[in-house]
Amino acid sequence: MREPPYQIVLKPYGAALLELARRRPEIMCLGADLTRQTETDLFRDEIPDRFINVGVAEANMIGIASGLARAGHVVFVNTFGVFCTRRCFDQIAISVAYPAVNVKIVGFMPGLSSPGGPSHQAIEDVALMRALPNMTVVEPADAVETQQVVAAVANHPGPVYLRLKRGEIPKILDDDYRLDLRKAQRLTGSEACDVCIIASGMMLPAALAAARTLTENGVSASVINVSVIKPLDAATILNAARHCCIVVTAENHTVIGGLGSAVAEAMAEAGIATPLKRVGIADVFAESGSREYLFYRYGLGTQNIIGAAWRGLAINRTEPPAPVIESAPGTYAPV
Amino acid sequence: MVGHSAMVATAPTDAIGLRQLAARIRLNATRMVAIQRLGYLCQAMSSAEIFAVLFGGGVMRAGYDRFILSPGHYTICVYAAAAETGLIETAELASYGKDGSELEAIGTERTPVVDLVNGSLGQGLSGAVGFALAARLASEARDTFAFLSDGELEEGQVWEAAMFAGHYHLDRLTVVVDANNSQVDGPVTSVTSIEPLADKWQAFGWRVIELDGHDVDALLAAFKSRSDGAKPLAVIARTKITGGLRSIPPSTDTHFVKLDKALETAIVSELEAALA
Repeated sequence: MREPPYQIVLKPYGAALLELARRRPEIMCLGADLTRQTETDLFRDEIPDRFINVGVAEANMIGIASGLARAGHVVFVNTFGVFCTRRCFDQIAISVAYPAVNVKIVGFMPGLSSPGGPSHQAIEDVALMRALPNMTVVEPADAVETQQVVAAVANHPGPVYLRLKRGEIPKILDDDYRLDLRKAQRLTGSEACDVCIIASGMMLPAALAAARTLTENGVSASVINVSVIKPLDAATILNAARHCCIVVTAENHTVIGGLGSAVAEAMAEAGIATPLKRVGIADVFAESGSREYLFYRYGLGTQNIIGAAWRGLAINRTEPPAPVIESAPGTYAPV
Repeated sequence: MVGHSAMVATAPTDAIGLRQLAARIRLNATRMVAIQRLGYLCQAMSSAEIFAVLFGGGVMRAGYDRFILSPGHYTICVYAAAAETGLIETAELASYGKDGSELEAIGTERTPVVDLVNGSLGQGLSGAVGFALAARLASEARDTFAFLSDGELEEGQVWEAAMFAGHYHLDRLTVVVDANNSQVDGPVTSVTSIEPLADKWQAFGWRVIELDGHDVDALLAAFKSRSDGAKPLAVIARTKITGGLRSIPPSTDTHFVKLDKALETAIVSELEAALA
């Protein structure tokens, strides 16, 4: 694994989709007036015949994708996460999830990574998509995973919701890392530890930084990266939960219905009584602002993960401060 | 947003005053976008006269009529116009788009001045229909004004609301469409065919006035015209996305302008010359 601040890769999704589509003529790319913003300008410019801009009409786009998929295409639908989940939920349920067609819904700007306020911040998209039968929910954490995830979801039969940060994506994992849609992977720490941090997507850098700080302060910590939130790799999660003193989940999403809920459900069903703390958005709509401002204000920082573990373990010492990681231009650091 | 209606429109002014107000709206918007050097500047360029007439032309009655802003990224125009007409403090404009500011770049439930704003496109007209229905149910002679952009007419919900308003003869409802032929991916005409707009609104049971959206006299006359047959009114305001400013180069990404110091200076100079 690399060390922060992380090197940035530009448009890894757009490049990977184009690369795959060159070899796979059944792949179609649909968008709704956000072509450059969803990195699909690369696809449009090279394969215009298989790129369709439906305009600002997401519900129609989902229906068109369903028809194309029923006719044999593998359809990637691209827009911001808010617009391809909450805006057209019934269309997804009836035209995509129920018939289990090969539509891959790609939602950009997860959680509070958008400065655009509640209308542009997908804080419950995972909960919505997770609730739909037949839907697989995938959230890569870095550029290495993103580069691999496009082929993985194209090869996975049926509907997928792919949740992606847009544009400048940090490279956190090693080049030999292999994404497996069936597996959550422990990236650091050992199976038996004080704190197991279970993270997804943009919270992975903060989870890693928190684990390091905790370990340096005498609290052993592991980090599990959950790239596939549904179906959850319960075996890996439960095994970890059995061997630690506290589980902390970390998600750039409301704590209702996302990763934290999925982990809680799995642990409860298995009768595991290990304490669980969920770091995420506390059932509120946020506001406009920079990523740094919003992550601090709405509790998505490294310090929030450290604090959840520290308080959960009732350690009788002052909570250690999160590391300050300077981010030079062209690099990425957690909040 | 419930019961905002803080509209305290200044006294109706003449065409020269309204044109100057439009120029000051553009200037305010330029200075606001200059804070982050990125933003929704051209939306203010295309719609400055529309906002000047709505807010400064005595069209909306203070604290009574309703104003709905459907495309939330046009809040910059509301702030720019509101500062000029005394609805918010001019000093507040300096906080536009900053962390913690109430003057957010895309409208939210915190947004001042408006009765309703949606950051998600295509939803505003439905809300406006609700306000117009509420006024009718209360036997109030309130007018409801809904500002829409042409790109968002691609959302089907707009036409659901238009059909409803026509069916229910909501004659105190006015829509103004900023037809600037601009959306994120480029000219609206390059993405899809929304024309013929006037025929579409007419077919849904609306009275339609199509005009030059930079002509303050035509806008004023349209907004003050009365229904001749119990129909809602759609004003199709044909505008230029640059507002006709020569200082905005054709290569500009007009949806989200990168405003460097040189471009800012050029735009400010052109606008100040027009005001002089």
